[in-house]
Amino acid sequence: MDALAPHHDPTVPVQLGTTIMAVSYAGGVVMAADSRTSTGVYVANRVSNKITRVAPHIYCCRSGSAADTQAISDYVRRYVHELSLELNREVNVSVAASLFRELCYRNKDRLTAGIICAGWDAQHGGQVYTITLGGSKLQQPFSIGGSGSAYIYGFCDAAYRPDMTRAECIDFCVKAVSLAMSRDGSSGGVIRLVCVDRDGVERQLVAGDAVPRAWQG
Amino acid sequence: MSSSSSSSKGGNGGGFNFDHHLRNQWITACLQGNADASTTDPVPNYARHARKTGTTIAGVQYVGGVVLGADTRATEDTVVADKNCEKIHYLASNMYCCGAGTAADTEATTRLIASQLELHRQAVGRARVPVVAAVNMLKRHLFRYQGYVSAALVLGGVDEWHGPSLYTIYPHGSVDQLPYVSMGSGSLAAMAVFEAGWREQLSEADARQLVYEAITAGIENDLGSGSNVDLCVIKDGGRTVEYLRGYAQEQVRTYRKPDGYAFPKGTTAVLAEDFRKYVQVRKVVSDL
Amino acid sequence: MDRPLSHSSFLPPLFSSAPHPLSPPHSVPHPSAAPSVNAAERPARWSPYQDNGGTVVALAGRDYAIVAADTRFSVSFSIPTREFTKITQLTDRVVLASAGMGADRQYLHKMLHTRLAMYRHQHQRDMSLPAAAQMLSNTLYSRRFFPIYAFNVLGGIDSATGEGFVYGYDAIGSHEQLKVVCSGSGQAIVQPVLDQQFSGRQRYSVPDAERAPSLTLEQATALVRDAFASATERDIHTGDALEMWQITAAGVRQTRYELRKD
Repeated sequence: MDALAPHHDPTVPVQLGTTIMAVSYAGGVVMAADSRTSTGVYVANRVSNKITRVAPHIYCCRSGSAADTQAISDYVRRYVHELSLELNREVNVSVAASLFRELCYRNKDRLTAGIICAGWDAQHGGQVYTITLGGSKLQQPFSIGGSGSAYIYGFCDAAYRPDMTRAECIDFCVKAVSLAMSRDGSSGGVIRLVCVDRDGVERQLVAGDAVPRAWQG
Repeated sequence: MSSSSSSSKGGNGGGFNFDHHLRNQWITACLQGNADASTTDPVPNYARHARKTGTTIAGVQYVGGVVLGADTRATEDTVVADKNCEKIHYLASNMYCCGAGTAADTEATTRLIASQLELHRQAVGRARVPVVAAVNMLKRHLFRYQGYVSAALVLGGVDEWHGPSLYTIYPHGSVDQLPYVSMGSGSLAAMAVFEAGWREQLSEADARQLVYEAITAGIENDLGSGSNVDLCVIKDGGRTVEYLRGYAQEQVRTYRKPDGYAFPKGTTAVLAEDFRKYVQVRKVVSDL
Repeated sequence: MDRPLSHSSFLPPLFSSAPHPLSPPHSVPHPSAAPSVNAAERPARWSPYQDNGGTVVALAGRDYAIVAADTRFSVSFSIPTREFTKITQLTDRVVLASAGMGADRQYLHKMLHTRLAMYRHQHQRDMSLPAAAQMLSNTLYSRRFFPIYAFNVLGGIDSATGEGFVYGYDAIGSHEQLKVVCSGSGQAIVQPVLDQQFSGRQRYSVPDAERAPSLTLEQATALVRDAFASATERDIHTGDALEMWQITAAGVRQTRYELRKD
């Protein structure tokens, strides 16, 4: 078969060859993602939104199979909403992350999903949880994921500081994701950002021509 | 598997049952077209004979609505099975859906969801159902079947909540929402036209022209697509639909033998003749 | 609230128990169930061959031969070019058309022209139709165990009598002298029509060779044009344009007709 075959072969699933990340700071969290969705070598969507709302103050970054992660986040959004109605208050970020963990762990033989669940709640402030492919839930000060993350572990370890402000977190995310996008063929497009703190949610977008360019050799 | 291994478990005695494992592997191999001839049994290989709509389908949003487009060729392997098939399917009065992939799957899926949407509309007692309802029904159906229902869809519609909206739904159940989309084997040709010609705030006439050009690119440059261009315009808050079957019919037969083909009497050799009287002719005054 | 507090118990399953009869087994395979390497998971091996599609036809009457081919060059579902000739003129009286793989066709045509030139220099005359037919067979058979992926039809007129003949080939040189032959991606569509039409009517008692071709050159030309128009309707690898070479005692004449482009 030729190079185009995977595109019209329905057995090839849509993949989020991706760079995603989330960083917590004293007052909240910042999440960032590239916007490329591909089927084989074809870019099916160059402006996709991989940062999905779960609750008003809880979001998730999705990587892996588009179908699997959309289905999982639909489920979690539903149950978090139901739980918040029963409790008559917003649920904690940890609870949403546990729902992701539960679904990923119990169905790990049928899912390809790497998820970062992050958000802000009154009890614990900004938090970042990584849900691994196997269904572990790990709380971390910051997390990176997707195929592009392999290129920026070194940068992130060197550049991360626990005492960053929101603006510094945004700068850190944009630098990291742009570096991954320039090296990883499966990541690209624009950078989408979501900032959650006590005051609510703010979405930002770094357009393709505004993405910082490091050494381009 | 041998019958003894399954019978030894004694019905509902528990434990694993592997009876279908070899069969499933064989079917999986057939789906990939790799069935080994030496192990092949006479089960029909229906997956490979399925009628695929090697297709160009596309859609564009404009200020007052959406325009959907499709070619009209259906293929079975390299043979054109239907030169003028319909690929824009009805979902609801304010929603239509283009289908690529296995023709049976796109038709069955859209019919099923169209039925569920009408029942939902009557249950909630409204004139129209939101387009996202159809998107959710379709994606859940396709996700449930894990990509084995090979339907790649372009869904367009207009409702009073979100106005015009356009979605693509992939066979595995993932969804994208975009202002211009294409699907099928000709989607690359169609998307090339969109990426070159799409602008924000298109008028209806410009949107129609753009979709027509995109489908034509697929018809001319993709061997899986061909024949005519069908368009469907949904506008006016979902109250008006223009289904333009055969919007463009530019690919036509270039030659036909002037004197045709005559088969004179006696073309088929008569080897033997035998007349018998099988029918009794009887006059009936009345059957009542 | 009597709902159990454990999340796992109130979560309904993400997947229904039996999604589809065709879904692959998710249970642990039985050790004796199947060989570990699944045919479906093996990567496809590289192949030296590629089918670039196209249909070729040759037919012969009492005093003419026609060799025809479409000009589409396709790879899988795309068309790299719509203007790729499959026909080459070998001598004043012999024309060859080849379907199959484009690269192998170019190589074969080049080889044949070289050998024809060597023959001309050695014998001070053009090769006859039967000699050219045999040389093509020899060239193909020389690659018996790495075949040239080309499906040839050869047409021409006998230099002595002026009668038209055509030859049909397989990829490794088996050949046969005929009055009508067709090869390539549209073969299954075109051949039965030509068989029926060219023989005039179905007289089963008459051997093929003795069935006098009753079509005039004009009738045969119309038949070939119609056959290609029909093949283009139903075969996705045939189309764009038809090139037709008419070989008579007066020489060769080349004509081109448009076909559907979709």
